[in-house]
Amino acid sequence: MEKTLKKEKFNSLITGLKDQGYKTIAPKKDSNLVMLDEVQSADEIHLDHVQTNNSIKEFFLPKTEKILSYRIEKNKVSMEEPEGFAVKTVVFGSRPCDAASLPIMDKVFNWDCTDKFWVQRREATTIVTIACDKCDNYCFCTSVGLAPDSKEGSDVLLTKVSDDEYLVETVTEKGEKLVESLGTVFTPADNPGTETLNRQVATVENKFEIEKVKPWLDENFVHKVWAEFSTKCIGCGACTFVCPTCHCFDIVDECTMSKGDRVKNWDGCQFKMFTLHTSGHNPRSTQDQRWRQRIMHKFKYYVEKFDSILCVGCGRCSRVCPADMNISEMLEIIATEESQPVNKE
Amino acid sequence: MIEALRKKAEELLRSKTVDVIYGYGEGSTPERTRPVFITKPEDVNKLTWNKYCVYNLTTYLKRQEARKLGKPAIVVKGCDAKTIIVLIKESQIKREDVYILGVTCNGVGEPQATKCKACDIHTPRIYDELIGEKIENKEISFEERYAEIEEYEKLSEKDKWEFWQKQFAKCIKCYACSSICPLCFCDRCIVDKNQPQWIDPSAHPRGNLSWNVTRAYHLAGRCINCEECQRVCPADIPLNLLNKKLAKETEKNFKYRAGYNIDDELAMATYKEDDNQDFIK
Repeated sequence: MEKTLKKEKFNSLITGLKDQGYKTIAPKKDSNLVMLDEVQSADEIHLDHVQTNNSIKEFFLPKTEKILSYRIEKNKVSMEEPEGFAVKTVVFGSRPCDAASLPIMDKVFNWDCTDKFWVQRREATTIVTIACDKCDNYCFCTSVGLAPDSKEGSDVLLTKVSDDEYLVETVTEKGEKLVESLGTVFTPADNPGTETLNRQVATVENKFEIEKVKPWLDENFVHKVWAEFSTKCIGCGACTFVCPTCHCFDIVDECTMSKGDRVKNWDGCQFKMFTLHTSGHNPRSTQDQRWRQRIMHKFKYYVEKFDSILCVGCGRCSRVCPADMNISEMLEIIATEESQPVNKE
Repeated sequence: MIEALRKKAEELLRSKTVDVIYGYGEGSTPERTRPVFITKPEDVNKLTWNKYCVYNLTTYLKRQEARKLGKPAIVVKGCDAKTIIVLIKESQIKREDVYILGVTCNGVGEPQATKCKACDIHTPRIYDELIGEKIENKEISFEERYAEIEEYEKLSEKDKWEFWQKQFAKCIKCYACSSICPLCFCDRCIVDKNQPQWIDPSAHPRGNLSWNVTRAYHLAGRCINCEECQRVCPADIPLNLLNKKLAKETEKNFKYRAGYNIDDELAMATYKEDDNQDFIK
């Protein structure tokens, strides 16, 4: 039977989750930003935005986390692994693009070695997505095979059907269990059938033909467009850190002579230090090579290795870029080049 | 004004006075511009000028990718021009290395950037060519120029500590603040040095505090208040508050404003035999 969630029930939803021992993450206003963050009550939830400033990734791959502690004694080294990092959590109100990033990232975190931090958090978390009822110029989910109401990665999908009501669609067993466990928070639709018709979903313009991108990348590792497009890049890590699918990290020891913590931190391919060798040689010595790497990794290497595009079209990288580097514009150039090849230099 | 800018840019490129123009072009949305690098006279129509030209383009003087294009003419507002003075004084560039295309400015940003609210340099104090009607640079009192930090200064030490702890907790260590800063020009930043590890690279409270405070300290007496660090911060940390406070202390104690007069001696890098403080001798 079709179910809906009324806004007036948000309070019982949050209380219900709390009673069941869930930590709830939801969009929250923080001065000029809207951030996915832990909420204690429904009043804190903010839904009048296109996109949260932070992505969903930090709840699975935090910006910094201790992966082990060690102590060096006379003839032995003792190690202690962190526990309790996977907390039973519901992410409520994240966008379909964010949810879609999770199964894409599962592939790399379950690849040659299983990243227990990612995997256990994934198991402990239920994703309740709200379909987008609005978008902006930076959104391009439809160009990468997704949609403002995609179900990929969500356990439950909510779609606005009126100002104070959402249609509830359970996507996975996990989602079904959650909806069931909350009982009367969800109500049977007043007029079954009509809600499906009144779904308020944004229209996201299709900006480029994704099928044209990889063939061009296959042929154009060397091309003048890389440098032309990226002279303005200042080499910071803002794009990679706000990206829900960028997952590079660095491991550092924060230590004294006798003890220390091994820490995993976000890292990004746009930093010149990222590829600097101890010899002093840097295989990606200029910014155009680093920019090319970002595009190649997302639209060629990851596709070849994992059969997925490493981009969900959320547009965050372009929104935050200090120099207005716009990734969908780069992909439009690539798709156009592939359609009408011009002389290469 | 746009026409005058394009005409001058074209002339500079045609006469080979410069190889490239660092200017503003149309951005992703009408409310945004972006840096453009014009090397061909026929491309000067890509240059624009409007209230969204917030960037301080002098930051590209430190980028090898831009420097590779040859001698630049840079479109600078009054505030941005101060950077060039500091860069000359700190021996990073020579005056003849850049052609300064000064633009007169009545403020940028929508809503208007904080830096514009007490601006006394609508017309750059250094330029090779001035584009736009000259606007008289009226004197603005010391108090008025630092009015934006008054509220902050009133906080108790404890409240200030709490305020910054909360702000720095948001830091994601993307280094957009230092990457955009035209005066953060070290080839290898202290945060990238790990023998010893002066600053923890982790985005935890200790790492974030040491990074953000060190960044601000390295700009003490140098920051020209272009506010670019604050504009680009994806975590919305009011970084310029720190810069502004340090600038105020510098001006109060040394009667020095970074980049204001090309003849002024640097507050932090001037040695004098007859210094009246003993510790420096």
